[in-house]
Amino acid sequence: MKQKEAQGEGNILFVGIDLGTSRSSISASNNTREWIESYVGWPKDFISLQVVGKPVLFGAEALKNRLSLDLCRPLEHGVIKEGIEKSEEAVKEIIKYLIELAKPQPEQKIYAVVGVPADTLKVNKLAIRRAVSEFAHSLMVVSEPFAVAYGMNLLNNSLVIDIGAGTTDLCIMHGTIPLEEDQKTILAAGDYIDEQLYSYLTEKYPNSKFNKNMVRQFKEQYSFVKELSGDIRVEIPVDGKPVMHDIKNEVKRACESILPALVETTTEMIARFDPEFQVRIKNNIVLAGGGSLIRGLREYLQNALKEYGPCNVTCVEDPLFSGSNGALKLAQDMPAKYWEPL
Amino acid sequence: MLFMIPKKRELKVRKAILRGVYEDNLRIIGKNPVILSGRVPVFFKKMFLFFSITLLSILVNGNYLNLPLFPEKQTTASLITQRPSSLPAEKPVVKPSDYQAFLGGKEMPLSRMFGLEVKTIMIDPGHGGSDSGTKGTMGTKEKDITLDIAKKLRERLRKYGRYNILITREQDTTLPLNQRVELARSSRADLFISIHLNYLPSKPINIIETYYFGPSDDDKTLRLAEQENAGSHYGLSDFKEIIGKIGETLKLQESKEFAASIQKNLFLNSKKQNANVYNFGVKRAPFVVLLGVDVPAVLAEVSCLSNREEEIELNTESHRENIARYLEAGILDYLNKGEVSYEAKRSSGRR
Ligand SMILES: Nc1ncnc2c1ncn2[C@@H]1O[C@H](COP(=O)(O)OP(=O)(O)O)[C@@H](O)[C@H]1O
Ligand SMILES: [Zn+2]
Repeated sequence: MKQKEAQGEGNILFVGIDLGTSRSSISASNNTREWIESYVGWPKDFISLQVVGKPVLFGAEALKNRLSLDLCRPLEHGVIKEGIEKSEEAVKEIIKYLIELAKPQPEQKIYAVVGVPADTLKVNKLAIRRAVSEFAHSLMVVSEPFAVAYGMNLLNNSLVIDIGAGTTDLCIMHGTIPLEEDQKTILAAGDYIDEQLYSYLTEKYPNSKFNKNMVRQFKEQYSFVKELSGDIRVEIPVDGKPVMHDIKNEVKRACESILPALVETTTEMIARFDPEFQVRIKNNIVLAGGGSLIRGLREYLQNALKEYGPCNVTCVEDPLFSGSNGALKLAQDMPAKYWEPL
Repeated sequence: MLFMIPKKRELKVRKAILRGVYEDNLRIIGKNPVILSGRVPVFFKKMFLFFSITLLSILVNGNYLNLPLFPEKQTTASLITQRPSSLPAEKPVVKPSDYQAFLGGKEMPLSRMFGLEVKTIMIDPGHGGSDSGTKGTMGTKEKDITLDIAKKLRERLRKYGRYNILITREQDTTLPLNQRVELARSSRADLFISIHLNYLPSKPINIIETYYFGPSDDDKTLRLAEQENAGSHYGLSDFKEIIGKIGETLKLQESKEFAASIQKNLFLNSKKQNANVYNFGVKRAPFVVLLGVDVPAVLAEVSCLSNREEEIELNTESHRENIARYLEAGILDYLNKGEVSYEAKRSSGRR
């Protein structure tokens, strides 16, 4: 919608931000789209500062230099993590950096909508507001799955399942801003799969050297549930020498470990509605978040939920930006009178 | 489904949603939006709540007045200076489940030993799921804050490596009180602490109080008990019977000690942060969760959501972390007390 320009507010940059536990992204009305891993690192000491050459590093770069840095993943378990001031500081740095990436003009005002994991919204909304308010002229905070739903025009009779790193957030839309009971958060999500995969692999190959990061990369490359043709073999060092390992069965088991909770929670949430609405919602289920990329997941859920009548599950086109795009759309659609200066 | 030209109805829905987002965010910063939609005004809800609670508390009160089982006065936490908390490294000799038999009944002196045997601590974040508990004007819910504090407390206690720390709910789920009790029993918890937030609509103050199980004749306490018991499957008649059965058991004495330790640490430390906090002390109340658990059990009202400043504070990570820290100190202090008497008793036993 272009109504804002019609109102003569061309000097405003609208931004939608998805503040995720593992990845954060920004979509701006000047068409920039950027994302980073939600890691922030500060040099540990003067020497580290010399080595990395910057007072603060983000995302992949921070991870690469982890040994020289005080590393922080501020929303690790879906809420601002312990370490407190450091985490709030890290959120601030991420927001600041993302907004810089959106390249606002010097005189442009920034109106931001920030989507955060549903649990963060419950106990950290003030902290989030504080963190963002330094860099925006006006600001609204919403829950992440709601931003996704809004962005896809799923305003009514739909269910968004946002499978992130720390949490999976489910959100039913029925024509209003979702109420408490329309949203649910479970821990069956990306990090959980990583933990499972890590323990399956260390169990099967006790002499091989794994770390959490490697395991996550294996998952992101090979994730699937139920069936997949072909082998999954990866190189892992054993006593310093790379050796091929078959990890197909472990990947499958780890990915499938989130299925029972997903199906149960989905069924439970839909069951609260009248049969007529149940049918409509079940025809409008959308998978979002990095976890929606697991191969076979969409088909599996569609089948599992069919038991009580037809059902249609789709995946968002671009899980990395569906949250920030939705937040941007919210920002652009928001009537001017609702934007209050901070 | 994407339509090029949104239908009229869809536009209307969208408008309502945008307004909803706006109002929600106003609430976050503590401004109260004028609510237009056809909800029941909060005032009427409150009136209804007030009357039903008053009625119930009259009923409950009536019952308790006939049961003068606890002649002692309600105690207020004594303000003892802090001692460093450390625990003996050696293995405890007696398991908590054995202690009653070991002691051969009502004899008191060894009761302090109890603290030593604690292996499993169960933390119970109040409310959850469809039961939000109390709610601040900015929309902060008791259930969310209690869960977060509980998790922080768990992390802190885990660091000692010598306790098994359990939590009754991990997420925002509805969990009836009797199931919490069941959990504590089946997991053989040795110590139980339930975390709650207070609500005092009439006074803009912040108070801290800690409860252990027992009859109360204080109106306000009974009202609170009704609120906190709301999710339970126990009825008033169950209460009467159960209270009749309870004597001056070890569990009660230990619970009282435990409560005093929690209250002392919570209050003194909170006071350092904010001079405007009131010490409402250690009290008895008929809380279902405390009743059902066989081991020392307390319910701490760690803060007050009706107080604006406090609600804002509770929304900060650091404040919740602090509260968890005070609870940790309270628990360790309590456990630590056991050590002293245990050592004393043992040497006298060798004589
Ligand atoms: N292809 C993939 N298969 C399975 N999981 C994936 C894939 N790509 C990313 N993920 C996982 O998705 C999670 C991140 O999703 P995202 O929606 O960005 O989460 P958040 O918003 O919580 O940061 C991580 O756990 C990541 O490992
Ligand atoms: Zn409560």
